[in-house]
Amino acid sequence: MHVCAGCSCLCDDIEVEIRDGSVSKVYNACRRGAGIFLNTGSSRAEPKIDGDNADFEKAVKGAQEIIQSSDSLVIYGLDTVTLEAQELAIKLAEKKEAYIDDNSTFCLGDFVEMILRKDIPSTTLEEVKNNAYVIFYWGTDPYHSLSRHLSRYTYYPRGGKRQRGYEEDRFLVVLDVRKTHTAKLAKKNARFLKVDSDEEVMRGFIDALEGRSPKVFQKDIPRILKEMEKGGFNVIFGGLGLKYGLKGDYSILKEMIRKMNERSEVYFIPAGCHPNMRGFNELLFEKTGYVNKYSFKDQTSSDEFAFHRLLEDGKVDAALIIGSDPLNSLPLQYARKLADINTVVVDPRETFTGKIAKVVLPSSIAGIEGGGTMIGADGTRIRLKPVFEREINDEYVLKRLLEVI
Amino acid sequence: MPITPMEVYKLLPKTNCKKCGEQTCMAFAFKVINREKQIEECTPLFQEEKYTRQKEKLLELLEPLKEATETGLIVDEEKCTGCANCIVVCPVHASEDPYGSGSGFGPKMEDPIYRLEDGVLRIINVKKCRRYGKNRILCVACRENCPSDAISFLEG
Repeated sequence: MHVCAGCSCLCDDIEVEIRDGSVSKVYNACRRGAGIFLNTGSSRAEPKIDGDNADFEKAVKGAQEIIQSSDSLVIYGLDTVTLEAQELAIKLAEKKEAYIDDNSTFCLGDFVEMILRKDIPSTTLEEVKNNAYVIFYWGTDPYHSLSRHLSRYTYYPRGGKRQRGYEEDRFLVVLDVRKTHTAKLAKKNARFLKVDSDEEVMRGFIDALEGRSPKVFQKDIPRILKEMEKGGFNVIFGGLGLKYGLKGDYSILKEMIRKMNERSEVYFIPAGCHPNMRGFNELLFEKTGYVNKYSFKDQTSSDEFAFHRLLEDGKVDAALIIGSDPLNSLPLQYARKLADINTVVVDPRETFTGKIAKVVLPSSIAGIEGGGTMIGADGTRIRLKPVFEREINDEYVLKRLLEVI
Repeated sequence: MPITPMEVYKLLPKTNCKKCGEQTCMAFAFKVINREKQIEECTPLFQEEKYTRQKEKLLELLEPLKEATETGLIVDEEKCTGCANCIVVCPVHASEDPYGSGSGFGPKMEDPIYRLEDGVLRIINVKKCRRYGKNRILCVACRENCPSDAISFLEG
């Protein structure tokens, strides 16, 4: 049994068959997870300096020099690497008084921060499987982003107090701006609410809880609240749609969850995609009290220190990108600036960013070639069980980079 | 796409000649879809020239029958994302493998009906399906919970 580090579910029941030193068959993984296992050997990164293939040692030296000579370094990425590697990256940022940021700035970092600060109650997926009755998917389409989420952890499996299956022992509520694939599953004992404004719906829930008639979904909201009281243990999975729908003001979400909790237990779990995003958030929170966009020079976190803002303002002279491809995922107006500064890329695969980087260092694919620990979106620590062993992994590369500082 | 008995009936000779052993052409159409009879057993259709065009159309219509398993189940791997909803909701899996696929994990039983292989759904052992055999139940739990319509049944 192996662990798939493809998304934040971190499914630990993956079986593989190996033939001629590569994975030939994958069982129990979804399409996305299986793709990572089956394509272990394809488009792998080679050590490079200025776009030309180079010796690994020379490339490490090149990267060391860039980091050593940098006055204003930013470390970015880190969501697909293990906790151990993240710890080293944070150490490196601290020693260099650098900026450090990850994808959670524009992903679900805000939700993780609220959970870590205990503003909203959270629980684990194991508890959800054993107890949850009403399950909300708010602004997320797990059928595509976290394929096995419903079948492995939440709606469909039987467990603990919920032994009678989804038709009787679960109540699914999907809230989204369009009828997504997940929304299609909301049939019997379920509701799909087509949302125009998240705030309006939350206000509706609060109104209903305070005894007033909600302005939207007058029939559905009271029914859902009744079901929630019946179930006793309910959970809300919030996705990017919820984050951007609320436009940065989470007071109404907190108020709604607090009010709901007066009637029955309601928990919140972020439904994000990056396998170890929460791991990075937790590590940085433990060390500094902030979850992302942190400057060790200023000892604080601010929107100005977000990776794209640093690039836009030209505040950095070097970037260390670990396990991420900003040229692919960020708007080009910010990402193209990586070509003007000294960029070092550490990644197991060839990336667009790697093509414009000064130095590329190969590493190993977490979960397949490299062991370690990751934290899923619900805060559970999971130990990876790699299929192969590879000496050069993120940890090794970061240790080498730390040598010179 | 599911095939209905009416579609098959429309293309049969509709003479109720009973040469196939059935009382009516409609009864024969039902049995063809359930794979209890072969279309070749309708001898007038193949022997008489006036039915040539009908025969060609009918053979084209029945083409998916060859791909379908004994229960009429068709899985379109192109559409499947490997969410495993079908594996977990399957009542047979739940009763025979409660701590494996019944609890959301990959199947732990010997030969499950379904299994995820290389990220998509594969049919392993259709004989365990409730739709198999004579006293079958027309269960559609897996199809109902497939949002991308990767699972379909011939009968609809």
